[in-house]
Amino acid sequence: MAPLKALEQEYPIINSSFQNFCASRGIFSVEDLLLHDLYVLVAFAEQESDAERLKQGITQVLSIIDGQHQPWLNGMELLEDAHRNKHVLSSGCEGIDFLLQGGLRKGQLTELVGASSSGKTQLCLLAASNVAKEHMGSVVYLDTGNSFSPQRITHFICRHSDPAIDQAKHRILQKVMNSILCHSVFDIFTMFDVLNLLELNLRSQMQRGDCQVQLLIIDSVSSLITPILGGSGSQGRALMVSAGFLLKKLAHEHNLAVLVTNHTVGGEGGICKPALGESWKSIPHVRLLLSRDRGGSGVYSVSVLKHPSMAPGKASRFMIDD
Amino acid sequence: MEQVVGSPKGWIDGDESAKEMLARVLTARPFLLLPPLHRVPLRVGNVVELVGPSPSSKTHVLIQAAVSCVLPKEWNGVHYGGSDHLVVFLDLDCRFDILRFSEMLKHRIIGESIGSMKIDSEKMDFDLWNNDKKRRPAYDEELYVLCMRRFLYARCYDSFEFLATLKTLHYRIQKEEEAHGTSVHMLMIDSIGAFHWIDRASTFMPVGGNNRKSHSLQTVSETVVQEIRKLLVLHPMLVIATKATILGDIYAMNDAKWNLRKPDTSNCRSGRITSQQLPYREYMPSIWQTFVTHRILLRASDDHLPVSNDQNHSLYFSEWLLPSLSFIDKFIVKEVFCFGTCRLASSLFHEVRRDLWCSLASHFLIFPIMPGLW
Repeated sequence: MAPLKALEQEYPIINSSFQNFCASRGIFSVEDLLLHDLYVLVAFAEQESDAERLKQGITQVLSIIDGQHQPWLNGMELLEDAHRNKHVLSSGCEGIDFLLQGGLRKGQLTELVGASSSGKTQLCLLAASNVAKEHMGSVVYLDTGNSFSPQRITHFICRHSDPAIDQAKHRILQKVMNSILCHSVFDIFTMFDVLNLLELNLRSQMQRGDCQVQLLIIDSVSSLITPILGGSGSQGRALMVSAGFLLKKLAHEHNLAVLVTNHTVGGEGGICKPALGESWKSIPHVRLLLSRDRGGSGVYSVSVLKHPSMAPGKASRFMIDD
Repeated sequence: MEQVVGSPKGWIDGDESAKEMLARVLTARPFLLLPPLHRVPLRVGNVVELVGPSPSSKTHVLIQAAVSCVLPKEWNGVHYGGSDHLVVFLDLDCRFDILRFSEMLKHRIIGESIGSMKIDSEKMDFDLWNNDKKRRPAYDEELYVLCMRRFLYARCYDSFEFLATLKTLHYRIQKEEEAHGTSVHMLMIDSIGAFHWIDRASTFMPVGGNNRKSHSLQTVSETVVQEIRKLLVLHPMLVIATKATILGDIYAMNDAKWNLRKPDTSNCRSGRITSQQLPYREYMPSIWQTFVTHRILLRASDDHLPVSNDQNHSLYFSEWLLPSLSFIDKFIVKEVFCFGTCRLASSLFHEVRRDLWCSLASHFLIFPIMPGLW
């Protein structure tokens, strides 16, 4: 919300007479100008003595406004970006990969919904270990419930590898562990801090080819949002929606796959429904419902609640520990 | 004598020739749109709102309308039946999937080329297994690229970016129209209520001056409506906005009487829902509500149609709320399998008065898509 004064240095046309003219109309910053009708402003400028300079100033501010929105793309450019940058990351679990036609897609926000102990954290750990190992990228893991377990990561890495070569295994394990950055966050404001810092870091290291962050996991996002959602006030929901937009922005601009987990609450008729309410429903790209089959056989079922190019209801089963 | 001859002649000459009148009327002719937008003739200058809970195929309807708009009427001897214009898509939800748009466009292009070549689809199946390349219909890559380029997209992460985009949209449209040689006919906004909570919670107290406008839900909505109105004067186009029903659950928990307002399929079957019993809670400010000229309610059905081996169909209901029509359309969004990957295609069968099933004309042939085509 920088005031117009701050722009004077860079754009000398926005001088004090222009600022005074704007102040007389109640405009003190560029954002104020967004709420005003520019044609009406030009009409008022015509009546002033230095009409030409004022109109030039308005044109200058309009071009500043033009730089404040996201760039325009046509369909072919979008497609090129999707093919070049928005690849699919395998989650390490064949059932999920089959259901999602390859795995977690970069640029998309995937949500895992499930009751407690339905395998959400296990899947997150599996995805983290797989991305760090196979895709050679780094993973940012935001852990809200102290459930991050290096032992499980080690187990996932070592179970498929050849037990003969210990030295190589040790090196791979070191590399994987170095690539997974785990932060403990216990409230939504800390999460915003961590994510904003991540965004700054990513923006400043755009050119680095190796060891880029490829996956962002928040386990679980609902435990951060539920305490602030409550009653009919809009502050909690506003924070939730802002968090959603920040995650989607990170996913799209920096080509990350974002994986978040959500718990379930009781709905009408005793059916479980995902938490966080109606407003959250339109935020993730992909929503998957996880459940654990009874009988303790270690078999999980997953079904699609929402997907941009698939009908809801498609399901599959998988095991995490074979 | 001249004067007497002059005035009747002038009266007979008229104001415009038939050619001029036709040119004027044809630019404002109604769109030929697909279900569920087909019930009421829509013209440029109309503002259509697609309301529905998430998910209810609102974006799918938008994508389909966009595909119809960017395709030309005829190309290389094949009739596509499109409007041959540009589409502007403002993605406020930031969830748009270009791959889906691309697949639907390809599907439509191939469908039309096959339809025009009158190849028997069963024969084609057989030939697929034999990998007979001669039977493969000509897929027009040039047309595909042309149509993809006609789709103009921008995303907005907050209201400021949305307003900035709207303010500079006029110049952008001018530039693009010059570059493509055809005008913009559709403005799509997905979805209009995306920043509702953020704007509502914004309690910005203006500092410095009493006439300073504060950034609130009311002022943002007023500015949005004002900008779109100005845009429609300069560039007549059809505005289609989607809106998610995000206030559905607050009242359901607190107040039993709101339960009567929840979408209930048994209610629907008995007939229309009058304007008094809106099946969702309206949250957009009244300035937007009065700006909207047409409104459709979309809903997913809880049951899915009997699923065959590898295909999954989702059933959706659509109902016109403004103008209020007395029946409900049902439509299916089918997936089309592509040998190992699956794509959502736009096969729509509509049901009139729940008795008749009729399929749309040649636009929607469902057929297995050959591998290696793309």
